[in-house]
Amino acid sequence: MKNLCCLAVFLAMFAGCEKKPDTVYHGYGKLQIAFHHAAEGNPLQFDTMIYHSAAMYNYKVADLQYIISGVTLYRNGGEFVLPGTGGGIHYVDARIPSTRLWVTDQSIAPGTFDSLSFTFGLNAAENLSNRFPDPPLRDMAWPDILGGGYHYMKMNLVYGNSSGTVIEPFMFHLGIGQLYSSSLPNPDSITGYVQNFFRVTLLKRFIIAGSRINTINCTMQVDHWFDGPESFNFDDYPGGIMQSQPGMQKACANGRKAFSGTISN
Amino acid sequence: MPLKKLVISRIQFFRGRTVSRACLMFKGKTGRLTCFMGWMAWLLMMLTPGCNKNPGEPAAALPTPYTITIPRYFPGNLDIPADNPMTVEGVTLGRYLFYDGRLSGRTQPDSLMCCATCHVQAHSFECGIGDPRFPDGHPYGLTGIYTAHFMMPMINLVWTNHGYLWNGLVAPENPLAGVKTLEDLAWIVITSPSEIHGDTAKVAALFQTIPGYPALFKKAFGSDHVTVRNMGRALAQFIRTLISGDSRFDRFLRGEYQLTNAERSGYVLFMTEQGGDCFHCHGGDGNPLFTTNLYYNNGKDSVFSDPGDRRSVTDNPLDLGAYKAPTLRNLAFRAPYMHDGRFKTLDEVLAFYNAQLVWSPSISPLMHHIGTHGVHLTPPQLSDLKAFLLSLTDSSFVSNPAFSKPSSFPDGSK
Repeated sequence: MKNLCCLAVFLAMFAGCEKKPDTVYHGYGKLQIAFHHAAEGNPLQFDTMIYHSAAMYNYKVADLQYIISGVTLYRNGGEFVLPGTGGGIHYVDARIPSTRLWVTDQSIAPGTFDSLSFTFGLNAAENLSNRFPDPPLRDMAWPDILGGGYHYMKMNLVYGNSSGTVIEPFMFHLGIGQLYSSSLPNPDSITGYVQNFFRVTLLKRFIIAGSRINTINCTMQVDHWFDGPESFNFDDYPGGIMQSQPGMQKACANGRKAFSGTISN
Repeated sequence: MPLKKLVISRIQFFRGRTVSRACLMFKGKTGRLTCFMGWMAWLLMMLTPGCNKNPGEPAAALPTPYTITIPRYFPGNLDIPADNPMTVEGVTLGRYLFYDGRLSGRTQPDSLMCCATCHVQAHSFECGIGDPRFPDGHPYGLTGIYTAHFMMPMINLVWTNHGYLWNGLVAPENPLAGVKTLEDLAWIVITSPSEIHGDTAKVAALFQTIPGYPALFKKAFGSDHVTVRNMGRALAQFIRTLISGDSRFDRFLRGEYQLTNAERSGYVLFMTEQGGDCFHCHGGDGNPLFTTNLYYNNGKDSVFSDPGDRRSVTDNPLDLGAYKAPTLRNLAFRAPYMHDGRFKTLDEVLAFYNAQLVWSPSISPLMHHIGTHGVHLTPPQLSDLKAFLLSLTDSSFVSNPAFSKPSSFPDGSK
């Protein structure tokens, strides 16, 4: 009996500790961002060699991980940054559902907004080495010798020519670029670094409704990274582009067109 | 200790700096809350005489929280289950058990076996190569059956995410009860035919009779009743203290050491995609564990016959021939290498990655040099890369007395 009493007292101690769901809006709107990934007009299928680039390659996607940061809603010429969790930095692993929904904790005064934009990757001020010692962001670390900080994106691919006689892995990784004084990417000849992050305007002229959760659907069209406006030739960059600023520059030019957004509220 | 003082000390434990090493280090609010509740339950049990199983027995003193010192740049999140917080008493008991051959459940001198039988400190807690008991570095159990794989590093396991063993079988995601945590490895090892090949009940019963042990269990877990579950908890606590973070490269990161020219050149090769490109799987300056703890098919084979690869756990054909990337720390002590010990020297490993990779449909896309069978570094570059890898040698780890065999066991035996 005493044991039961102990248990009852113990449970009673914590009965009031459970956090109740925050359903009180006070007229404000809540915001969450759902990340979707597509290729050639359909939801992305991993590990299937069914995609064809404009440069006449077949390819499949094995991994897709990336960082977005600095999500900002603009209104009336002013701006409003969503801090979200982790300082407004969000990591997406397209294979892991829990990372594909970012529930921000910000209450937003409802109304019409001019636009919503984010940084693909991390800007120079945010992209500091050893900032994230724990996985998964830890495993996005970008070598110090190559500029430091973190990968903006890791997209691991396998590609082949149209006849299927050549099949090669390709590491489509983006981060800080390097300028080399030599024709080969010898790290001892690095003369400078290039910040390759870029801003994406995802939505224009949209409404945040009050007293509810507003869901922004952010879709990355994976094939756009290779198809335009710059046609991307895998064979120009043996194995990957981490040490090829021309390759990363071309990729980033394409990447600006890879995102589209809608809002449901 | 007076009751009031005891309560205050516990509250201070949760409010003070120590709590950041105890409950706040758990991931997420749920983990921290569970940890906190676990400690509170313990506290309630200890402070409520009526709750004792044996009313006549005096209440055990509370164990002392064990503080893990996290080396600079190492991860802050520790993989410690909420129901097994680190305590000084738990670690002490775990160390005894780790080295006590009676963990086999037998007492005859030729039938003793424990963790340390194969996990030898001098070899960075592997069996190494050249040991007369395991001349080729392949451990076998008490009854002569070889283990399915060669040994994995027992280094920095307090930061092991994504499962234990070469294939990640022991992981929270495993639907089988008792095959989820480092704690569970105790009963697995005791019963495994290729290891102790023993009986858990017999082992627990034996330790119940060894003078000194029941008291240590009481100090660590509040009961002098010896159970294999608590053995697993104690062993896991000790193993989580086996932290290596003082190699030359660690000191370089901390600004205390200047790499030699060869080490620096090797470091650059290690960290560059067009060099050796080791870092994508093995970490580096952003991940000083020197492993991502993830699983890769690194191009060793084109035909696969091992029934214990990563695919055996995930059932994903793309995991065929994939194994966990081991940490590269203390390679100098850890030959042979790979899950099957096929490489006896570090030079053989480097030669493999340089020009001997073989393609298979499940090869990791990170092995982007597969088209040319390797990274094709020059001999001087290979030498530099080796120099860098050896800069990860932490001699203090293999000589740390806190990790070594106790001078005697609780019953006075040696």
